[in-house]
Amino acid sequence: MKKIIDLNIQEKVYKSKKSQISILNNFTLEVNAGEKISIVGQSGVGKTTLLNILGLLDVNYKGTYRLFGSLTDDLNASQLAQWRNQKIGFILQESALINSLTIEDNIKLPLLYAKSSENYREKDFENITNALGIKSILKKKPFECSGGEKSRAVFARGIIMKPELILCDEPTASLDIDNSERIMNLLFKMNEDFNTTIITVTHDLEVANRHEKVIHLKRRT
Amino acid sequence: MKIFKFFITKIFLRKVVITSSVLLLLFLANYLVFIAARSNLSVLQGYKEIKRINQKGNFIANLNPDSDMDMGAFKKNDTQNVYNYLNNNFKYALFTDGFIVSLPNDYDMEVSFGYVNEEYYKLNPFEISQGKNLYFDYHFDSDIEIPVLIGKGLSKTYPLGSTIRIDDPVLEKPITLKVQGILKPNVYHSNFHALSSKQYYNFSVILPVNEEFIKNSNISFQLNGLFDIILLQTSKDKIEDLGKVIQDNLGLKFNFYTQQENYDYFNKYYFNSLKIIAIATTVLFLIITFLSVWNSLVSIRLMIKDFTINLFVGLSYSKLRKIFYGYYGILFFINLIALFFITAYSRYGNWLRKDASFVTYGLFGLIGMDWFALLVVLLSDIIIGIIIVEIMLWRIKKVPISLGVLQ
Repeated sequence: MKKIIDLNIQEKVYKSKKSQISILNNFTLEVNAGEKISIVGQSGVGKTTLLNILGLLDVNYKGTYRLFGSLTDDLNASQLAQWRNQKIGFILQESALINSLTIEDNIKLPLLYAKSSENYREKDFENITNALGIKSILKKKPFECSGGEKSRAVFARGIIMKPELILCDEPTASLDIDNSERIMNLLFKMNEDFNTTIITVTHDLEVANRHEKVIHLKRRT
Repeated sequence: MKIFKFFITKIFLRKVVITSSVLLLLFLANYLVFIAARSNLSVLQGYKEIKRINQKGNFIANLNPDSDMDMGAFKKNDTQNVYNYLNNNFKYALFTDGFIVSLPNDYDMEVSFGYVNEEYYKLNPFEISQGKNLYFDYHFDSDIEIPVLIGKGLSKTYPLGSTIRIDDPVLEKPITLKVQGILKPNVYHSNFHALSSKQYYNFSVILPVNEEFIKNSNISFQLNGLFDIILLQTSKDKIEDLGKVIQDNLGLKFNFYTQQENYDYFNKYYFNSLKIIAIATTVLFLIITFLSVWNSLVSIRLMIKDFTINLFVGLSYSKLRKIFYGYYGILFFINLIALFFITAYSRYGNWLRKDASFVTYGLFGLIGMDWFALLVVLLSDIIIGIIIVEIMLWRIKKVPISLGVLQ
């Protein structure tokens, strides 16, 4: 199997004026293409920090990170942004929508940063919104939609570029059982259809256990 | 370009209150800089002009403000006695203007006559674009064609070499004027009592006066001529004697200021006021810039989620920096255009009001000092723009792109 993530964090330090906190000490993670992994753990252990690092949002840590075979230290800020656009999809909580944009504009946001040759993905928009059942809310603003509708919109935005790696941050946190089920099913269908690698941070053990691997992050004692 | 268009139309312009308040604050800063730059340049122009006149050995007359003056009480003999004394004992520079005449012209503008003697003409010449300079050694009789310079605004109606028959307001009789030269556009003289203000001669006729002309002129002209007369290359003793002659003949007390006294006066009043204006402008400018930065930081706080989401899906900081510079570039451009139109309209207003002393010619209605002030505004905009954008980016980077921002 092709290894797409090879992460080795020696230390990640958060500094404040009075103190500093060190997390994810000597943490390693290897992920193969198409794997489904969940990350669980108490608040403050570094779940979101890990997702930030995996998603190329945070590069300030001691260690090395090889993604899709390339050392991320070798990538400049523009290349990191380009990878976030084309190779990584973020599926976040339903609040991660821009309120001044319509649902359609929110979903199409990644296309704005795509290379012109990637514009064919515009066609995928139709299929994705159909599959998610959100055609009727495309012209609405986020505040006019229900929590479930917004979650599906965030989901649609996360997959519209057909990323190789999907990072999910509490994707079902504010959803009822039906909507939660719907989102997770769609996520795993992506995995089946396109061999997309999925890493999910969650507090929900039921959701976590649906993944192939569950990583428990614990505070160092 | 599509990313920039997206941010302008879908992010910034959706925050109407923030965008309007930033625009308003920046306009205030721009207007302040514009007015200060133009006033200072105008004062410097006036100062340069007066420097030509305020030479060592020259004394500039000034009516003592405590003098009581009753125009009806003066007799022609009295004023002529003073001029006789001046002619015999001094070299003097005389220029007086503002004598309005009804002279038909294409713009239906009131025309002002200005009278200059040879010494003043040498000291503070009028620049001409066509024709020849004035000459002063003409013999004054009823058949003479007096050579005159005319403003650009009159040159179409009265081209070079043409003659004008008119009732002269100071001779109070018909005379013939011959157009000897056309003044350069926007030739001006500064008001020596308020250096930042000036009078333009685009609709003026400048007549050369000699002793004979003065002798034939009315009291009003002779008195006005005395009020700002400049005595050249003379001494304090001789000036004191002149003061007595004026006092004896007209009952008026005149002050005559030396070069040093004039410098002291300018230093005391103009440079101090210039300093105060410069300090006040700088302080206000800094306050407005601070408010603009603060306003921009508030907008960052309100839009941080929008920026973060965009950073998630492919925006980079370098692209965001370009977007901010483009956005502020547009705001500054709108302000510059607004300033341009306000200034152009104000200049055009002088034409509408037929305010002959202030009408000017310029590129798109703006004269040199306006363009200079706009250039200063542009430079200040570049500085403010760099300050605001870099502080905004520093603020955004301080909150790292992180999932945490959205939680």
